[in-house]
Parts: sequence; structure tokens; C-alpha cells
Amino acid sequence: MNKTDIFALVARQTCDVIPSLKDHVFQRSDRLKDLGANSIDRSEIIEMTMESLSLNIPRVAVFGARNIGELVDVLHEKLLIDRAS
Amino acid sequence: MVSVGIEAMNVFGGIAYLDVLQLVRHRQLDTARFENLLMHEKAVALPYEDPVTCGVNAAKPLLDALTEAEKGRIEMLITCSESGIDFGKSMSTYIHHYLGLNRNCRMFELKQACYSGTAGFQMGINFVLSQVSPGAKALVIASDISRFIVPEGGSALTEDWFYAEPSAGAGAVAMLIGENPYVFQADVGANGYYGYEVMDTCRPVPDSEAGDADLSLMSYLDCCEQAFLEYEKRVTGVDYQNSFQYLSFHTPFGGMVKGAHRTMMRKIAQATPTEIEPDFENRVIPGLRYCQRVGNIMGGTLFLSLSSIIDQGRFDSPKRIGCFSYGSGCCSEFFSGIVTSRGQERQRLFGIERQLNERYQLSMDEYEVLIRGNDAVKFGTRNIKLDHELIPGVWSSCKDKQRLFLEEIREFHREYGWIS
Repeated sequence: MNKTDIFALVARQTCDVIPSLKDHVFQRSDRLKDLGANSIDRSEIIEMTMESLSLNIPRVAVFGARNIGELVDVLHEKLLIDRAS
Repeated sequence: MVSVGIEAMNVFGGIAYLDVLQLVRHRQLDTARFENLLMHEKAVALPYEDPVTCGVNAAKPLLDALTEAEKGRIEMLITCSESGIDFGKSMSTYIHHYLGLNRNCRMFELKQACYSGTAGFQMGINFVLSQVSPGAKALVIASDISRFIVPEGGSALTEDWFYAEPSAGAGAVAMLIGENPYVFQADVGANGYYGYEVMDTCRPVPDSEAGDADLSLMSYLDCCEQAFLEYEKRVTGVDYQNSFQYLSFHTPFGGMVKGAHRTMMRKIAQATPTEIEPDFENRVIPGLRYCQRVGNIMGGTLFLSLSSIIDQGRFDSPKRIGCFSYGSGCCSEFFSGIVTSRGQERQRLFGIERQLNERYQLSMDEYEVLIRGNDAVKFGTRNIKLDHELIPGVWSSCKDKQRLFLEEIREFHREYGWIS
């Protein structure tokens, strides 16, 4: 799965958790907090994305992304490591 | 093997509280967001209160219900706290004195953020199970306050505090652990513990807190899963949805527990969305009620939740409660126990809900007076005489109750007195 696919997945999960965003055009620079996601929403979006990717690692391992783009980057990196091991 | 668990438990939820939504409006934060986070009230410690007074005020009613012989069998007194008043001298020494306990007693303090109460509870359980002193009891008191002086560091830290402030409470839970577990009989050996190093939240300087709420939530959720998976390995045939009639969680705020429950039901129990909401109402909400009245009391919060279930739940038949404890830094545990209607009757004698209803409601101005005055009783205060008339309404609301309060700190020694 490449970064574009992961980005689309994050966008889809974000809309699932916050339906009012269904017409939003997502950008890499978007911050989930600014889109109206509280801490519990943010954690659910990340978790559902990881489940869709069958990425079975601790949530804290993907902590630190400052926007959707960085989240996608870290998920992609973890996915490569996971698949390689 | 002997039976073991909680013989008696009481909560001290403070003498004054603040309405959280009122605070949120005052700080110009988003009120809708805080409603979703399921916070209602937070207990606020007066300057003449500290974790010693909270601990004594939780434990005194338990001891008053014992015979002298029973009281004399308390051979271990553990204070569980992250709000310590001295790096060496544990609060248990003061509490031991003001409760008039037997001197043939071990006394010490435990620390691991909000896990401390569980650490003390398990220590008491293991003391009884070991039978090195048959018939001995342990008194475990989890006591914490949030009395912060916002550190220098500019607006970023202040902003962080404004988001943590609504959930930060004060109070204590006292538990008598022994061989007659009327209130909560522990499932011996049914423990799943899970911990590792993470810098999520901590108290690295006196009278303040630091950390990242998002990281803490992620760590809490990881631990919620992993602690239960370990429990599952040790207990044959356990089922997250059906083995526990109630679930008790360490509750920083209700919304976090709702999220954790939803995650666990989805991932572990494979439940559908239509099953999850009613399950939350039936099994989890009873444990949130007292937490929503007091706020996060750190080491004792899980047991505050457990006491809420015991008081508010239905026990027409014995029921098993699954308990999840989490302390930042971190350490977590999933354990369980049985509660019966007899246990509910015994606990209700302490009138926890009535005590919460009788607290004084602070106005925002009174609250601001209190937090501006926090510096006067900061960690390391050498000498001070406390003014009990600071907010007169609070003091007069305590007049007909036997309560302990701080009167003076003299050359670092803390001197307390009773009001009744």
C-alpha cells in the first residue's frame, strides 16, 4: 500500500468518525484537531486506519504526527517495517 | 486458600466543589466539547486540606465501625499517592497517628501515578494471602489532590493547564483489606498487568504537571488491551462481554472511558455498534457517576469508580466486576472480583453520595481566590498557620461532621486538628 492509498484511508476514517467532513477536500497539511476531532476522535481515526492496514503495533508507536501528512508518513514507515519482519 | 478482598471501603470527595461547565465557560473553552467529555463537577482542596486530611477523612468512618480488637489487627498501612508532602517521610505516618492505629504496623507510601491505589490494593491482597500473620488486615489509602501553581514557561503551559484543569480533582479512597471481603471479593490469580516506559504525563516539579494528553490516551488504550489480553491468558474461558456484569475503569474523565470501552468492545468482544451503546449504559455508566462528581483523584480514581458501581449497581445476585487501572509512565492492570447485595448494604452505610451532595459549591470568584493562594501551601512550606475562614461558607458546611484539617506547619512538621 503506498502513501496515496494510506492518505485516502485516513480521510475515509476521518469522515466515518466526523460525518460532517464528508465534503471536505483533505490536504496533507490538515490537522485533525483543527478539523474538529477531539483527542478520542483522533485516537479512533488512527486506530481504525491501523486496523484497516492490519498494522498490529502499539498506538504509541505512531504518536507524534503534527498533521495528516506526517501521520501518513509514519504509518507508511511502520507498515514497511512490519511487512519486512 | 483464604478469601481476600475489601472488607470495607469509603470515599472522601472533598468539602467543596466547582461546576465544571461553569469553569469551562469562564476559561472560554468550548462547552460542547466538555459536555461530550462527560465531566460535571470537580472537588477542590482548600489550603487547610492535603492528602493526609483527605486520607484520614476517608478512613475514619471505616475505623469507627470496627471493634478495638479488629482495629488492632491493622498491621499494614499504605498511602498511595503522587501528591506526596515529603521525599522521605510518608503520609502514612501522619495518618497512623491521627487514626490511633496499633504501632505494630508496617507503614509506607507507594507511587506510580494513577496506578498507585491498585499497587497498594494488590500489596494488601498479597499480605493477606501470604498468611504470614493470619487475621491481619491492611488499610490502603489512595489520596491525591491537584493544587497546581502554573510554572513559568509562558502561555503554552498555561493553555495546557486550562485543558487539564476541568478534570483535576481531589480526594481519597480508604479500603480495609482482609479475610472477610464483604464488599469486594478478589478473584485470586486473575490479574493481567502490563507496563513500560512512556513520557505521557508526570509531576516532574512540585505543584505542577507536565505531559501530552494525546500520548496519554494512546498509552491508556494500548494498556487497556494488553492488560486484558494477559488476564485472558490466566483465566480460562473469560469473555469481555459476558464474564463481567460491570466494568470499572480508571477515569481521568468519562469521555475517555467511553472511548476505551468502545474500542475494547469492538476489538476484543467483536461487538457491533448497536450492542456497544447499551452495554456502555448498563455496565460502565454506574462506575462513572462518582467520578463525574469528584474529578480525577489519580491513585484512587479506579476505586472511586468501583465504589460508584457498588453503591449504584443492582446486586440481586452476586456480580463480577472487571477493573482496569492505569498509571502514566506507565503501569496498568486488569483484575476482577465479586460484589453481593450484602456488600452493597454495608458500603451504603457510609453514605458516599450524601457526603458528595453536602459539599459546598464554590463560585468562580471563590475558586480564583483559592488557586491564587496555592503558593502559600506549596511543597516545602516550612511555617504557616492556616486560615479556616478563607471561604467562610466552606468551613461552616463542615460543622456537624468529624473531619480533620491542617492547622499549622511548624518547622516542616504538619499539625492537624479535628472539627466536629
